[in-house]
Amino acid sequence: MAGVWRVRRQRTRLALLLWCFLAPSLAIFLLYRVIPVIWNLVLSFQYWSPLKPAEPAGLDHYEDLLYDDVFWQALWNTLIVIASAPIGIVLALVLALLVNAEIRGRDAYRTIIFTSYPLMTVAVAIIWRWMFDERVGLLNYAARSLHLIDTPIPFLNSFTWALPCVIVANIWQMLGFYMIILLTGLQNIPHELHEAAAIDGASAAGRFRRITLPLLRPSIFLAFVIGMLNSVTSFDLVYVMTGGGPGRATEILVTYIYKLGFNQTKFDDAAAVTVVFFVLLVATTWGANRFAGGEAGAAETE
Amino acid sequence: MNRYPRWPIHLALVVVSGVMLVPFYWVLKTSVSGENIYAYPPSIVPARIHPFFYVDVWYAIPFARYLMNSVVVSAIAVAGNVVFNAMAGYALTHGFRGKGFVVLLFLTCMMVPFQATIIPAYLITGRLGLLDSWLGLALPQCSTIICIFVFKASFDAVPRSLIDAARIDGLSEWRIIWHVMMPLSKSAIATNVILAFIWSWNNFLWPLIMTRTADMQTLPLGLARFLSYQEDTTGALYAFCIMVLAPGLLLFLMAQKEFMRGLTSGAVKG
Repeated sequence: MAGVWRVRRQRTRLALLLWCFLAPSLAIFLLYRVIPVIWNLVLSFQYWSPLKPAEPAGLDHYEDLLYDDVFWQALWNTLIVIASAPIGIVLALVLALLVNAEIRGRDAYRTIIFTSYPLMTVAVAIIWRWMFDERVGLLNYAARSLHLIDTPIPFLNSFTWALPCVIVANIWQMLGFYMIILLTGLQNIPHELHEAAAIDGASAAGRFRRITLPLLRPSIFLAFVIGMLNSVTSFDLVYVMTGGGPGRATEILVTYIYKLGFNQTKFDDAAAVTVVFFVLLVATTWGANRFAGGEAGAAETE
Repeated sequence: MNRYPRWPIHLALVVVSGVMLVPFYWVLKTSVSGENIYAYPPSIVPARIHPFFYVDVWYAIPFARYLMNSVVVSAIAVAGNVVFNAMAGYALTHGFRGKGFVVLLFLTCMMVPFQATIIPAYLITGRLGLLDSWLGLALPQCSTIICIFVFKASFDAVPRSLIDAARIDGLSEWRIIWHVMMPLSKSAIATNVILAFIWSWNNFLWPLIMTRTADMQTLPLGLARFLSYQEDTTGALYAFCIMVLAPGLLLFLMAQKEFMRGLTSGAVKG
């Protein structure tokens, strides 16, 4: 009897200790993930500014958003950014297939293509700002040298070009990262499958469609979710490259939240936009997960 | 077994590598050449090389101050990540009541991007009295979920018998982590250090929101500010870029294996 008690006491002590080990991390996530999400939701239903007590606002802030042109523009731009994520993924998939081939120097290629990922985004934005520059940008210089254009294009000051330029810079930075994720997925596909299919007379294209793509689905899903999260949250790029302009041509929800909250101190309105933003992210992730055949993300993390 | 020509693959990869490297080269070239960046047509190879612009940066802005802030904040974040994540990762290798809930909580938190929490995160940090301080800058990044799972995976690989032996020898759980587990998990530690460093070194939005005085600004903020008032000057801006990019780049090149493994074993950034 005494033995059972001792074992039980030891087990309780161990559990207590393990919770203590978890405590610092849990505290940080509670403070900066869980509470903010809840607080944000509450804030979006209140009238609140730093110096006044909160008053209930019902759905007023959301109603305001309906008539807020900037919000719609930012939402639309964010949707375009989400829709552009597959472009980067397709490019990365091609690259992953290429660097997965048995060629000399493939490690060097992998390193070079991946190198842009760990760079500071502010610096990347400055570099690309300059690449796209009207007078001294490398792109305009190259295009003019090749006689593609007569007059330089003011990329970042143009309503048509500004958003695509930001997306290009984002893809440039993230391409290597997507490639590595897809490459890991490719390397996990058993080699025998391809050999067996080849013996059965399947063409290279057929093998790619019937074997590689289906088995790569979880990796593609993962790359899409990461890519989507990364590009819709590419605050640094937009802030430094265009500041949301010209006009509101590159305003995305994240920059709008920042401006509402910290330039105009409308924390409550910003909270409402954040809630919309959050719902959009969850919906997109859920949709991508359905598309990938469910449970794809969970398999990757466990 | 596969007989196909290799040169088209090389050609395609060389072109892509060019696209990835040309911006680097261009920035490096401008930062050391000292020529007017408005020269047209631009020269491909710098005529003379000298460090004029690098010296310029030191005098134009309080670069040393920014550097110190960045280094201190990154150091806090790295230390926090290694210690807290190792503890949490070790806890997750055991079965205990509520573990399923914790794992679920972690996976859910991973889907919350920091950008969607900035308003309350600012208010919370304000309540804690940590606005405009080093600790406040580092705190949100002191533990990362991916890195916890990196530690957990590494600890799971340690043989059970070794831990049992340590326990019979009377080692406390705390000492098992630091004297048994950690020496066997060098590459998990490396992954944690690298990822934590890169994320906090590059972080821009959080310092932008919560620093009030110029004294607390970090390098990315300094860089953005430099851009805003040096718009029409010289290559000093690009010398600044090179200086802030160098540490992250070097670290990555030294330990790319750990870096890539860490990123692919977990999932989302943040």
